Amino acid sequence: MPVTSEVERVDFIAVPTLDRERSAKFYGETLGLERNPNSSEQWMEFEIGNVTLALLPHEYTGRSEFTPSSGPIALRVSDVDEARRKLEEAGVEFPMETIDSGVCHIAPFFDPDGNSLMLHRRYVPYADGSMP
Amino acid sequence: MEAQKVDFVSIPPRDLDRAASFYGDTLGLERDPLSDSAWPEFTAGNVTLAVVVPEQIGMEFAPLPTGAIAIRVPDVSDARSELEQEGIAFEGETLDSGACHMAFFRDPDGNGLMLHHRYKPYHDGSTP
Repeated sequence: MPVTSEVERVDFIAVPTLDRERSAKFYGETLGLERNPNSSEQWMEFEIGNVTLALLPHEYTGRSEFTPSSGPIALRVSDVDEARRKLEEAGVEFPMETIDSGVCHIAPFFDPDGNSLMLHRRYVPYADGSMP
Repeated sequence: MEAQKVDFVSIPPRDLDRAASFYGDTLGLERDPLSDSAWPEFTAGNVTLAVVVPEQIGMEFAPLPTGAIAIRVPDVSDARSELEQEGIAFEGETLDSGACHMAFFRDPDGNGLMLHHRYKPYHDGSTP
């Protein structure tokens, strides 16, 4: 039996970190996300529109090997080129050219711990004419 | 830079059909009818989970780490029991952090997920 009626929402996306101060600076200052004032210094949360990004200190995972997240979190920006340029000026490196999928622009990058992120903007409407 | 929202969180599959069946049938998430079969998207309340073949975006497959996406359910024990009956293996006992319950599991490709429910209000009295 699927838990259809049970899944209510995504409470947070965990972002593993080896250095929470460095991560807090990156998500709070470089990306400019708002810190959740209800989150603690041990468990820092940043808000981005519809969801929370939670910094997960490596020591909480109980694992010896550090594994950054391999599934890009797609951050919507109004203009991928412009946002990329600003981040590059702030010292963020992008490993490849911006991808034009035919419906959206995608610019993959990584946070200081190697967690996967991307700048994303869809520019073609869906089949029903709506825009995301 | 102004990040407006998270358009989707990518979940890397090794087997696209198997992953689509897991997120759609086992977890029971609604398939976004506007997403195509090469990039299936599922709606989990506030966020879209996109099953994205990593090679499509120039990456190699590596599973999401433990507990990467915290999925809110009304009751972690109940949801865990239901998923266990579906053959999903959980990692360890359900944790009680003092503020929330957390139960760690993985999708068929080893991507880390978590059932989550905060039962304690925040310092300001609000609940998430």
